[in-house]
Formats: sequence, structure tokens, C-alpha cells
Amino acid sequence: MDYVHLRRQAASLRKGLFDQGYLDEQFYQLEDLQDDASPNFVEEVVTLFFRDSARLMANIDQALDKCVKDFNKLDVYMQQLKGSCTSIGASRMKTDCSAFRECCRDENIEGCMRSFQKIKREHSVLRQKLESYFQLLRQAGPVECATRPNK
Amino acid sequence: MASSQVVKVLIVDDDNFTRRIYKTMLFRFCFEITEVEDGKNAIQQFVDGNEYDLVLMDKHMPNMDGVEATRTLRGMGIPVKIVAITDDASSKDTFMDAGANKFLLKPLTFSMLTDILKSFNFLN
Repeated sequence: MDYVHLRRQAASLRKGLFDQGYLDEQFYQLEDLQDDASPNFVEEVVTLFFRDSARLMANIDQALDKCVKDFNKLDVYMQQLKGSCTSIGASRMKTDCSAFRECCRDENIEGCMRSFQKIKREHSVLRQKLESYFQLLRQAGPVECATRPNK
Repeated sequence: MASSQVVKVLIVDDDNFTRRIYKTMLFRFCFEITEVEDGKNAIQQFVDGNEYDLVLMDKHMPNMDGVEATRTLRGMGIPVKIVAITDDASSKDTFMDAGANKFLLKPLTFSMLTDILKSFNFLN
């Protein structure tokens, strides 16, 4: 298996995530925390992020479905989601969360709906890209594998 | 300091993912770490007789928010160092008035954490 090629693909995918604004410098902070003691730290926290954010988004969906919209509750949920996005460096999602909160403040339900659809799309795209990235990293293995000479 | 020489930290944040990040940062210093999901459980830790050197306190949490938890701890006479860490910039004054020692805006970076620990002399 061409480990070098796989690592190049992973690096290219990662670069694209930053260049296209999906991730910001906060993601570097997470990568810096990964070491021998926590070798899968980044993938673990990313997995946690998508699990928790999916739960939050389900709560927001339910709240938006109600006939009487509780903008305060929606704002609280979205603040939580925005906080998680900030911590992982999910830049585009963070921006969209802010837009949603603005709509909450204006009690603009159509605006909230539109922003939330955008958040869901961004969430899905980011999830797919990061899953592909980690899959490539797993296939490529640790750096030592890439440099091990063929027998 | 709490009775043992190991620095004891209480992480108070309702976000599982955020607690994981803070724990990983703090593990680097070999600190003893406890985590709870809200202010009410944070208070309970102290009511149960646990001692901490440092509390990392989020603001927006269910049951009891970070400002109320901070105020309650100070009202109980708990002198623990409390660092408010939130993305709600508008809550700084409220937190400091409630008795927080420091206020930081999320996201917490490793260098921010190190600076805070140094300022409290938790790093030898």
C-alpha cells in the first residue's frame, strides 16, 4: 500500500478544510494536544463533537417544530452549539450559529429556519470531510509505516 | 493549596466535548481532575467535602449557571481559584462581581491555560 500517497491525500484534504474556511486555527490547538499519551485525541474529540452537536441540533429541530417558538430556548441551544464549534475550530458553522442567534434576537423565524438549514448542511459536509480525512490517516498508519522500507 | 501536593482541578462545563479538551490539556501537568456538568453539581462537590485548587467554570449550563455557582461558592466562603471560561463576552463583569478570579473567552488554548496556571503558581 502506498502510504506516502495516502498521507499526501490526507494532507491535501486537511489543507482544503482550512483553505475553504471549514476549519480555523483552533483545530491546530487540538492537533497540538495529540501526543503519545493521547494518540487519537483529535479523532476522539471530533467524534464527540459530531455526536453532541447532532443531539443539540435535534433539540433545535424540535424547538423549531413547535407552534409557539421559544426564541430564548432556541438561542440557548444555539449558544451551546456555537461554543462547541468554537472549541473545535468549525469556522463556517460558528458563523452560521451567530447568524441564527441574530435571527432569534429579532424573533425572525424564517431567518432562523434558513440559518438552521445552512448549519445542518455545513455540519454534514464537515462531518463527511473529516471522516474521510481520519479514514485516510488510519489507512496511512503512523509515519513510521510510511518510511519503512519494502521487503 | 488542597491538602495533597497534586493540584486538583474541577472542570464545570455542560459540554462533554469541551471537558474532554480541558482534561487533555490538564493531564499534561499531571493534575488531578474532576468534571461536572453544571453549577449545581459543582457546589455539591464542595458540600461533600472535596477540596480543589482551581475551578474552570463555564457560564451557560442547565440547573445552575456559572455566575450563580461562583456567587454561591464565595457565599460559602470557598476560597478556590475560579476561572470563568465562556464565549459570552458580556458576562465578564457579572462573573468578576460574583467572585471569579479570572475571565477568559473561549476557545481556551493551551498557552492561555499555561499562563493562568503560572499566574496562580500552580506550575513549579
